[in-house]
Amino acid sequence: MLPRAVTGYGLTSTLGIGREAFVESLRSPRRLEPEEGRKLTTIDLTKYPNARAFEVPNFEPQRYLGDKGLRTLDRLTKLAVVAARLALADAGLKKDNKFVALSEERVGIVCSNAYGSLEAITELNRVAKLEDPRYINPAVFPNTVANSASGYVSIWEGLRALNVAVSDGNCGALDAVACADIHLSQNRADAMLVGGAEAMHEALFLAFSLLGTLDHPDHVRLVGRLSLSEGAAFLVMEREKIARARGAKIIAEIIGYGTSFESPEDGSTLIGPSGDALGRAILNALSDAKVDPADVDVVASSLSGLHRADDAERVALDRVFGESVPIAAPKLALGETLGASGAFAMASALAWIEGAPPSVMVSGKAPDSVGTVLVTSLGFYGNASAVVLRAKDPL
Amino acid sequence: MNPARVFVTGLGVVSSIGLGRKAFFEALEVGKSGVSKVESFDTSRIGRDYGGEVKAFHARDHLTAAEARRMGRCSAMALAAARMAVEDARIRPSHLGGPRTSVVVGTTMGEADVLGDIDRTWIARGLSAVRRAHLPKYGSTLLPIHLARAFGTEGTVIALPAACAAGNYAIGYGADLIRQGRADVVLAGATEILQELQFSGFARLAAMANQRCQPFDLNRQGLIVGEGAAVLVLESEAHAVMRGATVFAEVGGYGLSCDGYHITRPHPEAVGSIGAMRQAIERSGITSADVDFVNAHGTGTKANDAAESKVMHDVFGERRVPISSMKSLIGHCMGAASAIEAVGCVFTLETGIYPPTVGYETPDPECDLDVVANVARKGKADIVLNNSLAFGGYNAVACFARPGVLPPPPATEAL
Repeated sequence: MLPRAVTGYGLTSTLGIGREAFVESLRSPRRLEPEEGRKLTTIDLTKYPNARAFEVPNFEPQRYLGDKGLRTLDRLTKLAVVAARLALADAGLKKDNKFVALSEERVGIVCSNAYGSLEAITELNRVAKLEDPRYINPAVFPNTVANSASGYVSIWEGLRALNVAVSDGNCGALDAVACADIHLSQNRADAMLVGGAEAMHEALFLAFSLLGTLDHPDHVRLVGRLSLSEGAAFLVMEREKIARARGAKIIAEIIGYGTSFESPEDGSTLIGPSGDALGRAILNALSDAKVDPADVDVVASSLSGLHRADDAERVALDRVFGESVPIAAPKLALGETLGASGAFAMASALAWIEGAPPSVMVSGKAPDSVGTVLVTSLGFYGNASAVVLRAKDPL
Repeated sequence: MNPARVFVTGLGVVSSIGLGRKAFFEALEVGKSGVSKVESFDTSRIGRDYGGEVKAFHARDHLTAAEARRMGRCSAMALAAARMAVEDARIRPSHLGGPRTSVVVGTTMGEADVLGDIDRTWIARGLSAVRRAHLPKYGSTLLPIHLARAFGTEGTVIALPAACAAGNYAIGYGADLIRQGRADVVLAGATEILQELQFSGFARLAAMANQRCQPFDLNRQGLIVGEGAAVLVLESEAHAVMRGATVFAEVGGYGLSCDGYHITRPHPEAVGSIGAMRQAIERSGITSADVDFVNAHGTGTKANDAAESKVMHDVFGERRVPISSMKSLIGHCMGAASAIEAVGCVFTLETGIYPPTVGYETPDPECDLDVVANVARKGKADIVLNNSLAFGGYNAVACFARPGVLPPPPATEAL
């Protein structure tokens, strides 16, 4: 890919809402752990007292979106729209929610999400089963389609260039970079919101819990325990020429992308995180970026506490870097946000490039200054992707 | 350097009017209807009971036992369609597997029915009754992954949920991956199943007809929900030539736009749809005068068909380009619609036959179009457009052409 300028980002995360709060929290990194007396709005903690499930705290969408029109939006959509609005403002594309640079016809979105609106689907299934299929709320029904969050972002933010939803599990938000890059090079837009969103829901928590991912004794062995989480993050990615022409402040460049897939050996299972696939994805990304492994200052890995996946990721990183590269695991602070996770890792990389200390370190020492970051995403099913970000060349 | 040309070299289709190219083509020619009473779930409380259900599809006919165990019906249809496409392309496993092949699959709701089953068990019999092995089958992510596993591909795997425009999104993006040099071969398509929630939702939105979908007819009652899957083998020109492939069609440019207006209603001025059609034409290096036939989005709802007619007049002016809606035969197959209809477009390019819009009885002055009414028509078929103008303002229009007709693809940003 051609180097793409990143001119802003916005997020709704367990570490705060908006770039400032996020960067501030990175200065005193903490692992995500259930606190005494915490409350969740999506999960009844009296039913599951020690749930390793986490939410964006104090999320009040009306503070950002006003009161009107929020009633039928689900949590996934609200998390996404707020993150998108903050990103557009951060990039200087919008002021008071009006375009002040470029135009709505030239700004688009690629939004990753892995599991859709479990809230909407489960609610309507419940109504249909317990009451009557004729009672399902027609205003909620459109939220059941897998692209609804990105559709609502385009409506709320007036993004008319193009609107692409992607699903590739935990790799989706990195794949969104490749997708946006292709659309930028075909001149379908001048700037793209690139990222992902995922929302906490009881069904999501229960599924991960039933599959033994949250309480497995082996999980502490490597980096800690998996924390299922939520949030949304978007980067504003632009053609460099256009970003410079409009006088935008370029935070960093995205300079490479790679992906790969490897079939799980066991034909009877769906789950099979693959170190081979990730190794190839990393090499593809480095080669696309024309970056030598030795030039990577730190890896924003997808290590999460899920031991099978973490084992595979370690194998891939060892193969490419030996022991020479410092490895951070943003998911230990942000939780596992699935379809949004790659976007959070890229947001972390941007913060590090701007001077925040890389965290949470799981291997090697955090470098004093960060120029080049490799972001990895390992999927559950044999899918893997990687992206390279670099500090902006001095003009 | 100009980007590679992208060819269609294989077709696979699972539809209510036939499985596989041959049956599907024959059905299109005679205007066979695939609409029947829905049997896969209880419709008695929904108030509507007709759909384009694919009753002849049985996963076990197309999948290994292990495959059938690890996927839901939506994935199974996609995999079956992919197998048919690969067979149709006569492509050897060594030309298909590996890092230069990608898989792109579109959908509206994907395996939402897997979640429906889980939800219903959870509600009726409690959490302990939920089968653990069932849980990971949910998620749109898996649709392309099942295909990648079956064919040993190692390139991009990606699902593009794009409501009812998903088929064109997937085919367009697949072609992009080839044009950008990221892949030589792409399995691109889309899949959707009839399921209770979606069926109830459309009935509730009052957008659903009783028994017949009659696009562009004055008395049209709404859409009929359908299901199915289609996968196309897309190949770069160099790769197709290298292995001596038979080329069925060329994929031209495609247009994408976003109304950014309302989650279900089309934009009143249809600006997004007009933009998407114009882009498809421009990006194919042609003019509107070169278009021979349009496969309509044509859902059979009052609003859609009137809006689409406006779009046609705006794009083609006085010229009355023949238009037809396959949804009169198979219903609206949602995410799969434009992939299945893309197969129909290739049918038209190969045979010079425009498939009919059945049930067209009374012209609607609001839809003043040259509808291919009730019987198939022979005509010039060098270049066709495939419209999908979906809910949420997702507009995607693809162009397909007989090989050798289109100019070389336009250059993209210099690398």
